[in-house]
Amino acid sequence: MATHSMIIPSSSSSSLAATASPFKETLPLFSRSLTFPRKSWFSQFRLRFFAGKHSQQLESSNGCATNFASLQDSGDHLTEEHVTKEESTLSITVVGASGDLAKKKIFPALFALFYEGCLPQEFTVFGYARTKLTHDELRDMISRTLTCRIDQRENCGDKMDQFLKRCFYHSGQYNSEEDFAELNIKLKEKEGGKLANRLYYLSIPPNIFVDVVKCASLRASSTNGWTRVIVEKPFGRDSESSGELTRSLKQYLTEEQIFRIDHYLGKELVENLSVLRFSNLVFEPLWSRNYIRNVQLIFSEDFGTEGRGGYFDQYGIIRDIMQNHLLQILALFAMETPVSLDAEDIRSEKVKVLRSMKPLLLEDVVVGQYKGHSKGGKSYQGYTDDPTVPNHSLTPTFAAAAMFINNARWDGVPFLMKAGNALHTRGAEIRVQFRHVPGNLYKKSFATNLDNATNALVIRVQPDEGIYLRINNKVPGLGMRLDRSDLNLLYRSRYPREIPDAYERLLLDAIEGERRLFIRSDELDAAWDLFTPALKELEEMKIVPELYPYGSRGPVGAHYLASKYNVRWGDLGDA
Amino acid sequence: MSSFSSSLSCPTYRSRTSSSPFLSTHHHPHHSLINVVDPRRSLSFHSASPQGPNLSELCVRSQQRKSVQSSALVQDGSVATKSSPAEELKDGLVTIPTIKAENVVAESNGEGNQSTVSITVVGASGDLAKKKIFPALFALYYEGCLPEHFTIFGYARSKMTDAELRDMVSRTLTCRIDKRANCNEKMEEFLKRCFYHSGQYDSQEHFVALDKKLKEHEGGRLSNRLFYLSIPPNIFVDAVKCASSSASSVNGWTRVIVEKPFGRDSKTSAALTKSLKQYLEEDQIFRIDHYLGKELVENLSVLRFSNLIFEPLWSRQYIRNVQFIFSEDFGTEGRGGYFDNYGIIRDIMQNHLLQILALFAMETPVSLDAEDIRNEKVKVLRSMRPIQLEDVVIGQYKGQTTGGVTYPGYTDDKTVPKDSLTPTFAAAALFIDNARWDGVPFLMKAGKALHTRSAEIRVQFRHVPGNLYNRNSGTDLDQTTNELVIRVQPDEAIYLKINNKVPGLGMRLDRSNLNLLYSARYSKEIPDAYERLLLDAIEGERRLFIRSDELDAAWALFTPLLKEIEEKKTIPEFYPYGSRGPVGAHYLAAKHKVQWGDLSLES
Repeated sequence: MATHSMIIPSSSSSSLAATASPFKETLPLFSRSLTFPRKSWFSQFRLRFFAGKHSQQLESSNGCATNFASLQDSGDHLTEEHVTKEESTLSITVVGASGDLAKKKIFPALFALFYEGCLPQEFTVFGYARTKLTHDELRDMISRTLTCRIDQRENCGDKMDQFLKRCFYHSGQYNSEEDFAELNIKLKEKEGGKLANRLYYLSIPPNIFVDVVKCASLRASSTNGWTRVIVEKPFGRDSESSGELTRSLKQYLTEEQIFRIDHYLGKELVENLSVLRFSNLVFEPLWSRNYIRNVQLIFSEDFGTEGRGGYFDQYGIIRDIMQNHLLQILALFAMETPVSLDAEDIRSEKVKVLRSMKPLLLEDVVVGQYKGHSKGGKSYQGYTDDPTVPNHSLTPTFAAAAMFINNARWDGVPFLMKAGNALHTRGAEIRVQFRHVPGNLYKKSFATNLDNATNALVIRVQPDEGIYLRINNKVPGLGMRLDRSDLNLLYRSRYPREIPDAYERLLLDAIEGERRLFIRSDELDAAWDLFTPALKELEEMKIVPELYPYGSRGPVGAHYLASKYNVRWGDLGDA
Repeated sequence: MSSFSSSLSCPTYRSRTSSSPFLSTHHHPHHSLINVVDPRRSLSFHSASPQGPNLSELCVRSQQRKSVQSSALVQDGSVATKSSPAEELKDGLVTIPTIKAENVVAESNGEGNQSTVSITVVGASGDLAKKKIFPALFALYYEGCLPEHFTIFGYARSKMTDAELRDMVSRTLTCRIDKRANCNEKMEEFLKRCFYHSGQYDSQEHFVALDKKLKEHEGGRLSNRLFYLSIPPNIFVDAVKCASSSASSVNGWTRVIVEKPFGRDSKTSAALTKSLKQYLEEDQIFRIDHYLGKELVENLSVLRFSNLIFEPLWSRQYIRNVQFIFSEDFGTEGRGGYFDNYGIIRDIMQNHLLQILALFAMETPVSLDAEDIRNEKVKVLRSMRPIQLEDVVIGQYKGQTTGGVTYPGYTDDKTVPKDSLTPTFAAAALFIDNARWDGVPFLMKAGKALHTRSAEIRVQFRHVPGNLYNRNSGTDLDQTTNELVIRVQPDEAIYLKINNKVPGLGMRLDRSNLNLLYSARYSKEIPDAYERLLLDAIEGERRLFIRSDELDAAWALFTPLLKEIEEKKTIPEFYPYGSRGPVGAHYLAAKHKVQWGDLSLES
């Protein structure tokens, strides 16, 4: 009880916990966000609670707060868990600790989880890389990127110190079993004989994935707890190489130890997609070819490779963004209602969507590459001006594609994807354009372009998270003029709290054994099957990408592709 | 081209009326004239920014009434907009103002400036006239929506000079916030067109005298005359008789706007209609229900029929219940004489709320023409079950002292009999026994002296079948269903309550609003309902007026109930002034498995 108050910042929520909710064990973590104390008491129950069914580790199923066994207040039915919890410990090894991703995303995410009380009481963070570093040097490096949640600044400095004390460094080769054996010894020291769970985050180039997995699994697996490995894209470059990678990984790991991360799935609004669909009555009836005219998945970056094109040039935008991020979102968007929200049920539905899809045809793809552009006295480099990119590179930095799902729900509905670097804007959004109103009484009010008058649902994943539903509306005034207005929800104004980074969610999920947002092998295979033929063709035929100026709206070819399917890009219209 | 353009704004009105052939008040049975007009009220589509319309766009009306032209309209209209430059589209307004004006002027030159409209406000010294009618007329004038030549006459028993009337009128005139510029000038001009004629409401001679004055002002033009009867119901018929027989237009139309009450029950209403029809044709009678002129009530049909996403949900399959809520935060305040004769059910429910219900629930009409819409509304009313006494809760407010201020109870009002049982609050459950709405409770609630002032429509949707997130929703699943709220007043808004994930690690659900607040989206002042309705009456647009058969059907629903309440002397449940109304309303709702949306914690 005493420690309970430690993690419940507001007294109002603690009283709620004490009186109203039968789910009090889930309350502490979320009590901060109880901006509407009375209205939300019924909805505090975390989904995570249910996900436990499928995980072998019961203790990890209840969300952050349950990891603090001692913090539970009067959870009689949880006493059993208390015992195991108090003696278990978690070691997180970031392999490739000196890399960019580790510095910018992984360590800050780990700190945020710690800061919010989501990590178990006993945990150790190890950085592993080839560079020689002392613990202090690592801590120094990490500390530069740590930030605190705006809403809880008070004890931030303390928390940072506490966190950094748990961070250690071990230098070693990625393919050296001995070096990993040494790591194992150090880990054991820190674990001090407790039940040890180990999480490896592989933040390293793909060519050494397998080596590391081999060494870690053979030499530094936990003997009494679980061992899980988070792997980052790229997962191969086509069906073949991906299959090969999976086979290699599976020599050392079982499927359920592999956590293939797609950080887009950890984005707040992507998570919300299923909530929107399945917890509201008003959307699901519309969610089919009967009402939806087309769906657009759009990703834009407003910068180019900027001297870091070495990796990108090997893969190109289709592999880098479409085949994984956009396709994953598409699958979530289009899937049938799963039996439950369990990871396996959701992933099974996603695979069904992918397997119902027509492989992408070359004629349904437009590729582009940005070229140099000067404006306002400033000149922006073209893709091939990047010294890390071959001068004759044909790698697309932009692609638009039309895809189709040949099932009963979506037959004939174009799913358009568009992704590009060095465009005029930065954003990621899902646009659903609805059909025309049959026999529209107000048809004559719409002047020329009826397509502009259809309803649209827009889910803006980033930046400025928001959802809006575009409706037709009467312009106030005498007479009858119609107008498009938005029924909208801007997250910033509704939820002033900072939205957690995707990496926080995904790391926490991996720690808890929640696989919903990670990609299963069969999903990955199905995804590659859709793109591999077109990718092969592009490369074999040496298709020359359409050049577009840096900072522009991308190649016009994308418009022609859209118009071929009677679609108009929603992001480039009057929106 | 010309027909397209002329529909865009009032400034073209003058030429339109002058060129229009609707001289007679006697149309043939199908009202073909009007049929042609309606669908074209809405010719411009406004795609993005509503903030920057030019002045000529402020009064957007359909103008052309020639059936011949309407057939050409579609092609013409689309051609016109296609050729308009892209920036214009981008700016949000497909207007093409200049070309239009020229065309219309050119077209109308032939017969231009020969028609005039005379608006006579009968009961000019009354409250409604001062507060609503004259200001609405001025607003129409200000926005260029009145014909070039018009005359306004005040008619009442009190002796007054023209100047005195003008003085009285001028005190309530205001200008649109967004066009203050030449307001005073406009006021002067407007007041110069206002005149007064004193006379008895039942005196033929006095109306003959009025007729003479009107003729003087009309100066031989084609004259159209509109009478607005802002007088007590017991003299309706007298005034109509005199006006119609002694002051009708000889060469233009004559129309009469009548305000509620239209009788107190089926019988008296029918008698009134019968009397009116001795002197007027159905299409001369404009029964006003000013709620139908409210912006968001007008928008209801637009929402339903111009959006794909609502209509599929608009039935018993998805809608759990619908609520029509009207609250006032003041009582009769010394003006209970009229009210006590009628009570809240007649004053608000049987007309305003029932009309909104009919618009809400009607099937898709064949077109937006007045007759098509009114036909559909009558169908709804005729499909409804007459209201049962057990499905009604009535209340009356009592005195209450809060914070040192004492608010009087209803019967403390000196104009109200001490033992009055007249309800100042009522809640009722209604049902439409048709294929679309069978079993869906339509709840109405109206009351005076409540804690708030508002009028809104709430649509509560059903539960999500097999909801995967049920377990995230705690005990009261009813609180997690979607809800569409259309707030008619104040702070006009539309919002859709959806379930949403609370941002953060973990999965907590929460109701958020997808919303559209008019004041944020449209900086323009929303016109008063009376402006719209007056303009409609001048233009002969009957969509928002109540037809006799609608009125009959509406009374047929409420008359048995009202009789029973009065015969049984049912005692209203008391509720304190400024409270949320009698708790009985909750039990009534609960009986039909409904929870009032406006009194929930998060409304």
